[in-house]
Amino acid sequence: MKLEYNGTEQVPLGKDAVWAFINNPEKVASCLPDVKTVVVHDATNFDATVSIGLGPVRGSFKFKITLEPQADGQRMNVKINGGGFGSVVDLLAGADIIDNGNNTTTLNWSGAATMRGPIATVGGRVLDAQAQKLIAGTFANVKTRMAEQG
Amino acid sequence: MTTEKHAMGKSMKRKEDPRFLQGKGNYIDDINLPNQLWMALVHSPYPHANIRGIDSSAAMEIPGAVAVVTSKELNAYKVGWLPTFHGLDKQMVLADGKVLYQHQEVAAVYAETREAAYDMAELVEVDYEPLPVMADPYKSMTDEVILRPDRENATNHIFNWNVGKKAETDAALEAADHVVKQHMTFQRCHAAPLETCGCIAEFDAMGRLQFYVTSQAPHVYRTALFLVLGIPEDKIRVISPDLGGGFGNKVPVYPGYVCAIAGALVLKRPVKWIETRTENLTSSFARDYHMDIEIGATKEGKVTALKVNTVADHGAFDAAADPSKYPAGMFGIVTGSYDFPNAYANLDAYFTNKMPGGVAYRCSFRVTEASYAIERAMDILADELKIDPAELRRKNFVQPEQFPYQSPLNFIYDSGDYEKTMNVALERIGYKELLKEQAEKRARGELMGIGLSTFTEVTGAGPSKHFDILGIKMFDGAEIRIHPSGSGIIRTGSKSQGQGHETTWAQIVAEELGLDPQNFLVEEGDTDTAPYGLGTYASRSTPVAGGALALAARKIREKARKIAAHVLEVSEHDLEWKDYKFNVMGAPSKSITMQEIAFAAYTNPGENEPGLEATLYYDPPNMVFPHGTYVAVVDVDRDTGETKVRRFLAIDDCGTIINPMIVEGQVHGGLTEGFAIAFMQEIAYDDEGNNLATNFTDYLVPTSLESPSWETGHTVTPSPHHPIGAKSVGESPNVGSPAAFVNAVIDALSPLGVKHIDMPLTREKVWSAIRNAEALAAD
Repeated sequence: MKLEYNGTEQVPLGKDAVWAFINNPEKVASCLPDVKTVVVHDATNFDATVSIGLGPVRGSFKFKITLEPQADGQRMNVKINGGGFGSVVDLLAGADIIDNGNNTTTLNWSGAATMRGPIATVGGRVLDAQAQKLIAGTFANVKTRMAEQG
Repeated sequence: MTTEKHAMGKSMKRKEDPRFLQGKGNYIDDINLPNQLWMALVHSPYPHANIRGIDSSAAMEIPGAVAVVTSKELNAYKVGWLPTFHGLDKQMVLADGKVLYQHQEVAAVYAETREAAYDMAELVEVDYEPLPVMADPYKSMTDEVILRPDRENATNHIFNWNVGKKAETDAALEAADHVVKQHMTFQRCHAAPLETCGCIAEFDAMGRLQFYVTSQAPHVYRTALFLVLGIPEDKIRVISPDLGGGFGNKVPVYPGYVCAIAGALVLKRPVKWIETRTENLTSSFARDYHMDIEIGATKEGKVTALKVNTVADHGAFDAAADPSKYPAGMFGIVTGSYDFPNAYANLDAYFTNKMPGGVAYRCSFRVTEASYAIERAMDILADELKIDPAELRRKNFVQPEQFPYQSPLNFIYDSGDYEKTMNVALERIGYKELLKEQAEKRARGELMGIGLSTFTEVTGAGPSKHFDILGIKMFDGAEIRIHPSGSGIIRTGSKSQGQGHETTWAQIVAEELGLDPQNFLVEEGDTDTAPYGLGTYASRSTPVAGGALALAARKIREKARKIAAHVLEVSEHDLEWKDYKFNVMGAPSKSITMQEIAFAAYTNPGENEPGLEATLYYDPPNMVFPHGTYVAVVDVDRDTGETKVRRFLAIDDCGTIINPMIVEGQVHGGLTEGFAIAFMQEIAYDDEGNNLATNFTDYLVPTSLESPSWETGHTVTPSPHHPIGAKSVGESPNVGSPAAFVNAVIDALSPLGVKHIDMPLTREKVWSAIRNAEALAAD
C-alpha cells in the first residue's frame, strides 16, 4: 500500500535557525508524535521507538531514521524505515525550506510511505487518516518546537 | 440389544453429536502434554525480499525463551525443504535466503509458555532487502523477475496442461453459427475452518514420534514425514483428533508441523503449535483460476464445441494438492452435464509472490472452477441466443442412455439423469410462475433474477491406475471386527472433520450385516490402529472408504455363511441372505441372525476359523459423478446494489443416500460456503503484494443473519460400480452454487445490458455495474 502526503508549515523563525533545528537528530526525534525512546548514532542517523495505534493494530514501531540535508541548504530529505508487529513502513519525506525574508520560513513538505503487513491490511481502513495525522503532526511539532525555541 | 433393521437411508441422529453438544470433543488445542514447549512462528512482512540476516538476541532475552530456529538450523538437519504433495516442486519450511510471499514463515521460536513464544516472535529481527513484487500471474508470466532461481528452469511458468482435441475444437468453433466468449476469474479463496491448524510433537523414550495433528489424511502425513524427516514409519504415530472443519485446509503438511517436530527432536521436549487465525488465512489458498471460455453452438442452441484457456496462479510454490498425474486436478470436468462433440482445455500455471496452495477446498481438485466456468458460459450463451437457460440446458444434456458416457475430455461418467433432476427442481421452485413474476417486475423496472446451475462433478479419487499422491495409490482401507455380542468396531483410513462418519460408516456396515448401527464404534485418525488410507478430502470418503466398508462387511458375511451352515447343520450352499439373516432355502423356519452367528464365531465355530472380522482395501474402478440442479432467485436493489437471495433450491443426486439428515446438513454447509464465495469472499492483494484478507474482518464468513434459507431435495441415480451405489455430496453445494448465485444476479441485471461480473458480487461491484450500464444507456 502506497500513500502520499504533503503540506505547508509557516515557521516564525529565520531560515538559519530552522536549518539548524532540522539538522539536529535529537530535536527532530522529539517532534515525532508519541515517541517513546530515541537513540542518536551520529549527526544524521538515529533510531526512534514510537507508539502506534491503527484500529486493532496497536503497539510500538521501531524506526531507523536518516537525515539527508541537501548541500544547497534549501532542502532536507528524511528516510524512515522500520516497523513492528509484523508490519514494515518505508517512508521517504522531504521539505523545501523557503526563506520568506521577514524572519519567517516556509516548510513545503511531502512524504511517500509504503506499508506492508497487518498495518496495510488490518489497519488499512483507518491507515490513510492516521498516517496523514502522524506526518502532519510531526511537521506541526517541528513548527511548534522551533517557535518555542525562538 | 435392539436391532434397527434397514439402517441404510434412515435419518439416524449422529452418534458423535452427544460429545460435541456437551462441549466434550477432543480437539488439538484440548491436548496438552507434560513439560511441553510452545512454538510460534515469525512471518515476513515482505512479499519478496532477500534475507540479509536474522538477529534473535533480543528474543532470547524474553523470560521463558528456549530457542530460535531458522532455515540454517533446519538445513543442517536436511529438513529445510519439503516436497509438495504432487511431487512437482519443493517448498521451504522456513525462508531460505529469501522470502517469496508475505507472511511466509521465517523463523520458529520455542518458549515455556504460549505468551512468551509470541513475545519472542515479535522480537526476532530480520534484515530484509526488498525485491520487485510479482503479485499478478499476468505480470509474472513476462519473466521480468524470476521468482524461483532455485529451480532448474529460469521461468515463472510452472507447467502446461491440456486435454482434448485442439484442432477439431478450433474447427468446430470456426464453423459454429454462434460463439460466445467470456473471461472470468474464480477468485482466490480460503476454506477457513473455524478450528485453525495445529500440532503437538513428542518423541518418547524409545525415540518414537507421537504426532498429534489436525490432519484430514493421517496416513499420508506419516508417509510424508518419513520422506521429509527420514524417520521410519514404525517410529511415527500420527493421531488426528476431532477436527473442527477442514474443507481441504487440513490436507497440506505445513511448515509449522516440520518446525514443531524438529524442535521436539532437538529440544527433547514436546512442542505444541496452534495457528493463529491470520496464520491460517495466510498459509494456503484455493481457486485463483483466470479462465477464457468459448462455446460454439448452432443457432438453435445445440452446443458444438467448448474451449477453455486458463491461467492458474499457484503462488510461490507449486503446492496444489492435486494427484500426481493431474496438475490441474479434475478441471477436465469442464464440459459439465452437456454433450459437447468437441472440447479442449488448456492451462498454464505460474509462480507469483503469493502464498502457495491450490487446496481442494470442498472440491474434488479444481472441479469448482470448472463447474463455475461452464455453468456461467451456458447462461451467457442462452442470453445471447435468446433461449431460456433451462431449455438450452435441456437441449444439450447428456442423455440417460448415453451412460457410461465418454466425455471429450477423458472422463467416463458413470450415471446420471440430468433432465429428471432439473425437472424436479423447476417444478418445486415454480419456474413458470417465477418467469411470469419476473416479466411483471421487469415491466416495472425492478431487478429480479433467476439463476440455474445444472452441474456435474467428478469425485472419489481414485482408481490406482490414474491417481496417486507422492506415489501412494489413492485406495482406502477398512477394518471391521464383530464382537461376540454382535456389536463391533469399524476403522477406516478416512478422517471425519464433522461429516458424521461415526454414523454413516455404522449405517453401511449395519445394513450389510443386519446389525444395529448403534452398536458400532467407529475409529479413525490413528495410524497405529486404522488401516492405511488416503484420507478425507475431495469428496472421496463414501466413494472409496465407504466402498471398502461395504465390501469388508460382505467379506464378513461370507465367513458368517460358513459358521451359519455349521450351526444350522446344512450346506452353506443351502443358505440365502434375506431379510438381514441367513435362511435355509426350503425351510423357512430355520434361520440365524448375524448376532447369533457372531456369538457362534467365538463359541461354536466348528471347523471354521474362529472370530468374525475382515480388512479390505478398495481400489475403485472409476470415479463417481454426482450431479444436481440448483436454482437461485434474487432481487437486486437498483439504487444500492444490494442483492437479496429470496429463495435457493438445491436438488442433489448423490446416488444412494446413506443418511438423508447428514446429506441435508452437508448441503446446508456447502451452500453457505458457496454463498460466501459468490458474494463476499476474496483474498485480494494490492500492487505491493500485501495480502488484504488476513482476518475475519476482511475475509468474511456469513452468519445465520446473512445466510439465505436453503431448500433441499434429491433424486437418486445410483453409481453402477460403487458397492452400494453411493456417490458423494459433501462438495456438490460448494461446486454447484456459485454459478447459480451469479447467474441469478446477472439475469436480474440483464435488462440493463450487464453480461458478467466477477465474484465476489459485493454491493459495490453490483452498484457500479448498474451505474455503468445506466451511463452507457444514456450515451
